[in-house]
Amino acid sequence: MRKDSETLALCDRFFDAIEQKDYATLERCYAPEAVVWHSHDCLYQPRDANLAMLKDGMSRLKKMRYRNRLIHVFEGGFVQQHTLFVTHPNDFVGQMDVCFVAYTRDGMISRAYEYFDTGQVEKFLGPRS
Amino acid sequence: MTDGEIRELCNRFFDAYEGRRVDELAEIYAPDCVIWHNVFGRETTGAENLAALPKSYTGQRRRSYDDRTVRTFEGGFVIQYTLHGVQHDGHRGALWICIVGLCRDGKITRIDEYMDSGKFAAWAGRPTGEWRQR
Repeated sequence: MRKDSETLALCDRFFDAIEQKDYATLERCYAPEAVVWHSHDCLYQPRDANLAMLKDGMSRLKKMRYRNRLIHVFEGGFVQQHTLFVTHPNDFVGQMDVCFVAYTRDGMISRAYEYFDTGQVEKFLGPRS
Repeated sequence: MTDGEIRELCNRFFDAYEGRRVDELAEIYAPDCVIWHNVFGRETTGAENLAALPKSYTGQRRRSYDDRTVRTFEGGFVIQYTLHGVQHDGHRGALWICIVGLCRDGKITRIDEYMDSGKFAAWAGRPTGEWRQR
């Protein structure tokens, strides 16, 4: 049986936690075996490495905002399309369109896939200095 | 549409794309179908997409849509797949793509496609750059 509302709540909790720099909540969204695959290197990043990367972003970036969230829940997971806006330390605001596909179990994300375009890296990270 | 019907429509769409059956794709797209690509950041119509296909198909000797992972939801699907291509010089390349499709009455009404243009050079067999680390 689908528990759409629980899955939707997990999705919102996950992205809201990153926006709010709430690391404790973020960490609880991932199952112990969680892995995150990224389209730029096609590798599965282990849970700890992914959390460390997110923690670094949360401390280094002034703001991270997930806008225009479109969410669809399917049996065992969800897909969210969004535009990620990040405010860099130099105040440059970068943006990137992302598709995030997550597979869940017991109210946690156990595996996720993140698709984005590295061809638009300047738009996200800012012009090369 | 049931989950089964949506799944069947999704696979029919990719089979037709792989088989270069433009007429069948025209049947699959709803008249008001919109296609958005993250790489270009703009929407095109189904008709524009169909018109561009014959020329697009001349780019590679062969394309196959493999490793399809399909999940259905109310009114649509998400598919993760590997696009394998064989260029005319024999170079083999791959792109990893995710599409979110919306459906109505047995047809596709919207496609949002996410791919990485940073891999286009490797796909085509040209010299590649690297994802900028910072």
